[in-house]
This record gives sequence, structure tokens and C-alpha cells, in this order.
Amino acid sequence: MTTQPLEIIRSSASVFGATTGMRVKPLVSKYIDTTTCIGCKACEAACQEWNDLRTVATHQEGTYQTLPALDAEFWNLIKFKERPANDGGVMWLMRKDQCMHCAEPGCLEACPAPGAIVQYSNGIVDVDATKCIGCGYCATGCPFDVPKFNAKTGKMAKCTLCIDRVEVGLEPACIKACPTGCLQFGTKDAMVAMGHARVAQLKANGFEEAMLYDPQGVNGTGVVTVLGHGHPEWYDLPVNPHVPWGVRLWKQIVRPIGMLAAFVTVLGVFGHYTTYGPKLPPDGDV
Amino acid sequence: MSTVMPGRQVDSAIVTGRTREDVFVGSEIIRHRRASRLIHWSVALTFFIALFSGMPIWSPLFGWMAAFVGGLETARIIHPYAGVLFFIVAILQFVEWMRDMMFSSDERGWWRPSTITRYMRWEHDPAMEGGGKYNAGQKMFFWAVSLGALAFLVSGIPMWFPLRFPPILRELAYLIHDITFIFFVIGVVFHIYLGTAAEPGTFRSMTRGTVTRSWARLHHPGWFRKIGGEDRQD
Repeated sequence: MTTQPLEIIRSSASVFGATTGMRVKPLVSKYIDTTTCIGCKACEAACQEWNDLRTVATHQEGTYQTLPALDAEFWNLIKFKERPANDGGVMWLMRKDQCMHCAEPGCLEACPAPGAIVQYSNGIVDVDATKCIGCGYCATGCPFDVPKFNAKTGKMAKCTLCIDRVEVGLEPACIKACPTGCLQFGTKDAMVAMGHARVAQLKANGFEEAMLYDPQGVNGTGVVTVLGHGHPEWYDLPVNPHVPWGVRLWKQIVRPIGMLAAFVTVLGVFGHYTTYGPKLPPDGDV
Repeated sequence: MSTVMPGRQVDSAIVTGRTREDVFVGSEIIRHRRASRLIHWSVALTFFIALFSGMPIWSPLFGWMAAFVGGLETARIIHPYAGVLFFIVAILQFVEWMRDMMFSSDERGWWRPSTITRYMRWEHDPAMEGGGKYNAGQKMFFWAVSLGALAFLVSGIPMWFPLRFPPILRELAYLIHDITFIFFVIGVVFHIYLGTAAEPGTFRSMTRGTVTRSWARLHHPGWFRKIGGEDRQD
């Protein structure tokens, strides 16, 4: 969270609140091509450096992966997946995992602290640690298991899409560090077009199931991912992510019913008193 | 002959009410002994701390309530502790009142809609003649509060330590906590209304601990008879 209040288009637990939307910027997106990623982890190092994150002890689980999952101080993780291939060999799949910057962010919907999670007009979803109360609702709302709790600060943390760089015309640190060009950054339209072109190229070269992952269950994301094989789950991605039904039911149906019930009850009690008055014994001695 | 000591005279109903209840003292009846009253107010106090720290997290509409507990962040910190305290005193309350809160067969008439309607209109109904120290509505509220306290605790734990529970359980916990709260709010609003403005003479049964004979005859005729009220002339 830095200083872009004029560009906030959506804010947690607010109708208006911090939402201004006074300055409109085009939607931005990361572009990740899993087929040209070599798993060098330069993006991981660049993310740690730019965001001044602590060095997190790595975790050996028999793969090349640095940690089993994202961490409050590790926002960018290459996921390494191995699968048997049809030709008897092994597919070694690598995908850069980070906040997807959903157009419809489940974290923001679940968050109870006004302004703790905001969405900017360029699509970036950001956490304002000064307003975060550390309740963890965002972790429940996120279909990608991205926001992580920092026990030292009592706050949630995640990728900011380097909004402090994007704001001044630079690409995010991870993109800057990528040596193969499998990471790109630009407007959402440009990145989607690039993704479709790459998918067409892959299909023409024998990857018939290649696809562009830009899940519509959350109205698209600020990260578009080219998958060589059309199975998001092979890359540890949900096939059809959406804001969890439990969170929607809770926030959009149960909570309004509760508020209505509370107001009606209070009003009903006043109505009763004005209609029937107090219940007094016949002799009036209470 | 006792010495008169101005300023040292303690009201005899207060003294008796420290340990005994369902007894007559002068023109009054002790309805709630001191332990009952203290437990009730402990439940009420912890409930209101939990309410004022929980509602601003529930909805930004009630964000102003956070001011009473020092802001939203402190609300998130103290709400679970207030909730655990509420649960502990709710257990004490359960033990204290459980025996008086068992439903009896002569209360079945209370469940007829016509009886409830008559009650709400302050009209008399033969079904209200029976009953014990508490009427069927009070008993239902007691059981709802006790069960609700349990539901709050069980659903509150995954909300307190979200990272130790799978997401599906957290979602379920949010829903259970919210639905329990809705019933609680409705129940507590009725409870406060009936205990104060609606039925004069009731509130002091929870402060001073006593009620009048006419109050007892009107609101709990069965209890009044049982403790010998009809036979006494004092």
C-alpha cells in the first residue's frame, strides 16, 4: 500500500469509504508463460529484494520448490510439479505463483476492516497493513490461498503487483528479473492478446491443449498464464475459481437478513410498547 | 435490646437475599439470591463486551461500536477473550438455573399461538395459571442462550485461529456464528424489553433481588402459590 488513494475503485467493508475512483488507469496484467519458464527463481529473489522481505528458511520436500506455499514474507513462488508424460518421460511443470489480482477479489469481499483491502482502477488488489486487523477472513475468501498471516506484525501480507513501481512507470520486480522473457507486463488487453498468440503458436506446434488461464469465475485476473497443457490443476491452479459460496452466503444473504431482523425486532418492541404499554398488576403495586 | 447504630442498618431483604430466595421478607419476596444476580450480570457484561467488539467486525454499519473497545484492531483481539469469558459464566448460569428451567407438562398450553398472542396483548389465558418460577418463554430463552453460548464457542474457535482450520470449516464457522448471533439479538432485545419497560417491577428482581406480592401473583401465579403466597396475610 503506497499512495494511490485517488485510484481506489473498491474498498473492503465500505460502500464509499476510501473509494474514490477519481483517476482512472487502464487495467494492467502480468503475463506468465509456463512453457518458457526455466525455474531459475530470479523472480523470487527480485521480489524479496524489492519488497525488503526477510529471508525465509527454505523447505526441502524433495522438489526444487523453495517453500511448500506462499508466506507472509515470500510473495512469489515458483511451483514445481512433476507428471508422467505419455512418451514414458516426465513433464516438469513450473508456474510462478503469486496474488492473481482478481477483478472480483474474494479477499476484499470477506474483509471486515474498512479500507484494509483496496482495488485500484488499474486492477491491482492491495492490502493496507495499517488498517488490517489480522482476522484472516481474506484467506478464507481467496480462491487461490494467497493472503498469508504475518505472526510478527499481526497483519496479512501478499504480492502488491509492485504498485510502487507500476505507479512510476516501471514493471514489477519479478518481471524485470526474468531472463527468458516468459514474464511480461503491460495492459490487460495487450497481455491477453499476447497470450492468445502464444497459445495459437503452441497449438500449431503440437500442444493441442494449450490454454490461456484468465479465470472468468472471478471476472478474470491481473495475471494471465499460458499453460502448455490445458489442465490448470496440473499446475496447482483451481480449474474454476470463484469467491467461496460460504463467504457469499455469509456476506450477501445471512448478514443483511441479520441486520433486518435486528432492526425489525427493535422497532417491534417500540411498536408493542406504544400499543400495549406496560403490564401492570390490577392493584398497580409493583 | 439492640443498640441503634445510625448508618449501620442493613435492609433485611438485602441480608436475606444474600443467600436465600423464594422467601418472604416483609412485603417483598426474594426472587433471585445474590449468587444468581451476580452470575446474571456477569453473563450480561461479558455479552455486551463481546457484542461491542463483535458487531463492528460483523458490519461497518456498527463500526462506531469499536470506539467503546478502543478500535477495530483491539476489537478483534478482545472479542475472542470476551467470548470465552461469556461461555464460562454461561456455564455457571446454566448450573445455577438448570433445575428451575425444566419444562413441565402444565406448560404445554403456552405453545399455542393463541396463548402467545394473548400474552403479547397482556391478556389472561388459563394456560398461564400453571408453571413454576419461570414461564415457558423464559425457559426457552434460557435454553437458547445456553445452546447459543455453545454454538458461539464452537464456531468461534476456527474464527479465532483461522490458519489452523481448513477453509471449508472456516466458512461454516462464519455462517454458524452469524446465524447464532441473529437469534441472540432477537432474544436479547425481547429479554431486555420484558425485563424493563414492558413489565415494571421485574428489573429490581435482578438488582435488589426482590419482587412484590402483586408482581408475583400477576407474572408467576404458580410460583407464588408454591412458596405459600396465597396463604399469607402479611
